[in-house]
Amino acid sequence: MFYVSMFFQYVSQYMKTRLQYRADFFMEILSDLLNQVVNLVFILVVFGHTQFLSGWSREEIIFIYGFFLIPFALFSAFFNIWDFNDRYIVKGEMDRILTRPIHSLFQVILERIELESLFGVVTGLIIIVYSGVSLNLELAWYDPILFILFSIGGALAYAAIFIAIASIGFWSDAKTSIMPMMYNIGNYGRYPVDIYNKVIRFVLTWVLPFAFVGVYPASYFLRKEEWYAYAFATPVVGVAFFMVSVVIWNQGVKRYRGAGN
Amino acid sequence: MSDAIQVKQLRKEFKSASSRSGLKGAFRDLLTRNYKIVPAVNDINFTVKKGEMVAYIGENGAGKSTTIKMLTGILEPTAGEIAVNGMNPHREREKFTQTIGVVFGQRSQLWWDIAVQESFRLLKKVYKVTDEQYDNHMEHVIKTLDIGPLLDKPVRKLSLGQRMRCELAAALIHNPPLLFLDEPTIGLDVLVKLKIREFLKEINEKYNTTILLTTHDLGDIEALCERVIMLDEGRIIYDGELQGLKDNWAEEKQIHFQFIEAVSLQQLQSLPFPFTANWVYDEKSQTYIALLKEEGDHISQLVSAVVSHFKIKDIKIHETSIEEIVRNIYEEGTV
Repeated sequence: MFYVSMFFQYVSQYMKTRLQYRADFFMEILSDLLNQVVNLVFILVVFGHTQFLSGWSREEIIFIYGFFLIPFALFSAFFNIWDFNDRYIVKGEMDRILTRPIHSLFQVILERIELESLFGVVTGLIIIVYSGVSLNLELAWYDPILFILFSIGGALAYAAIFIAIASIGFWSDAKTSIMPMMYNIGNYGRYPVDIYNKVIRFVLTWVLPFAFVGVYPASYFLRKEEWYAYAFATPVVGVAFFMVSVVIWNQGVKRYRGAGN
Repeated sequence: MSDAIQVKQLRKEFKSASSRSGLKGAFRDLLTRNYKIVPAVNDINFTVKKGEMVAYIGENGAGKSTTIKMLTGILEPTAGEIAVNGMNPHREREKFTQTIGVVFGQRSQLWWDIAVQESFRLLKKVYKVTDEQYDNHMEHVIKTLDIGPLLDKPVRKLSLGQRMRCELAAALIHNPPLLFLDEPTIGLDVLVKLKIREFLKEINEKYNTTILLTTHDLGDIEALCERVIMLDEGRIIYDGELQGLKDNWAEEKQIHFQFIEAVSLQQLQSLPFPFTANWVYDEKSQTYIALLKEEGDHISQLVSAVVSHFKIKDIKIHETSIEEIVRNIYEEGTV
């Protein structure tokens, strides 16, 4: 309960900070919207030329892409920790975090929220509805609930990977270029995994579970029954990986060396 | 449970990679690294009673910050026991931090872009402070530190002195029984320093708050602390009263003279005194310096003798600063 109320406290703090710079705030919203438009155009251009991709139709691929944008937007809004190493470990901001009576990861996440990224959810929904209509997808009454569960599961899986990578900073203070690389690998989850070879598919499922952010959950809504087991595993995988990443984080905090001053 | 801090055989080691020389060495480093284990804090023991104000001093890199970071739960010790407010700081971190206040002089607790009072408000929620407690306590703090007019300004628009006062208030929102201050007066002007010292003394009296502070400023220590713990290379080399430290190490006073006419060192040395005074000539500032023990009326004897024999332009009595005391101690090795 305390954590829920802290969440809203930090969100309101964030809003106040944002509103301090009005011009900046509007520019940010504008650039975010533009970003989403570019995303849309990109999809239409790229997939305008493809009809089928190993058994997936164009609309289905667009649907997966649209679905991917939703957990990804949740992830970017609440787990904006790609610069954790620089900001918190090298600059020693972690010292401050550790002197406050809230779980350290929770604080870092709250300090770094970026709610503008939630616009991605809107873009994702537009794409899903568009492709869903052209595919004549039918919805059961419980599908919206599953949709929410799968989105959260996907976002958690994504977050887990990045938390685990951020935790590396506790062990080695050297700068790593893993973060940007991960963002690239993360994009693989936007496409049907059976277009990749077996090794990559295995990695995307069990090592870096990016497939659970896009293809697997989306295939449930596309009624691809051969993927149902994976689709329903999404929330479980998300929570499991997330828990493991928190354990890694907690171990990392013990190794924190602090920055000299 | 009358001790605020108990530290037994506390040790913190850092592993640091040492690189070999040359290109060949760099290639070898790539494969196998040489690690050196460096103890930053080396088996120290001390206790701080409730309500005490203790200065924790030493050169840069002596292990002060490392100790403070272990005491505040930021770092996990390599070995040894710590009990602060009866808890293990690192293991019970979240519960523990509720009972301490921390000010790191070079790091801000406040949100940079928003008004100070918004930061206070969030911290109040973080520490689960009720409105009633907050009003009772903070009203006084805000008044004493004179930060009322600053509350609605964003932190980035404050001067360093204004910010430090706000930092101090922020660390006290939950009225902690124990306060850690790492260089709280660094870079501040005299007036702000005085205000902060006065304030610390006041909360110590009012709430019996225990204060542990690191500083390079002798003034801070003299104004606040009866007790000094001095650290060198991770070991405690002095733990006791400030006066003791001064008596042992600051026995010599320096008196600086500048003369209108040319005076030679021999002339000065030939002045008769019933005690020993060493004369030194500092060419750069053209000053003659008399070094003597501070005992009885030696200073006035020396000054009156010099003044009656020579025409002086300037005279200065120089007290040994904490840096000089510390330097003396380092030169001699042990206390």
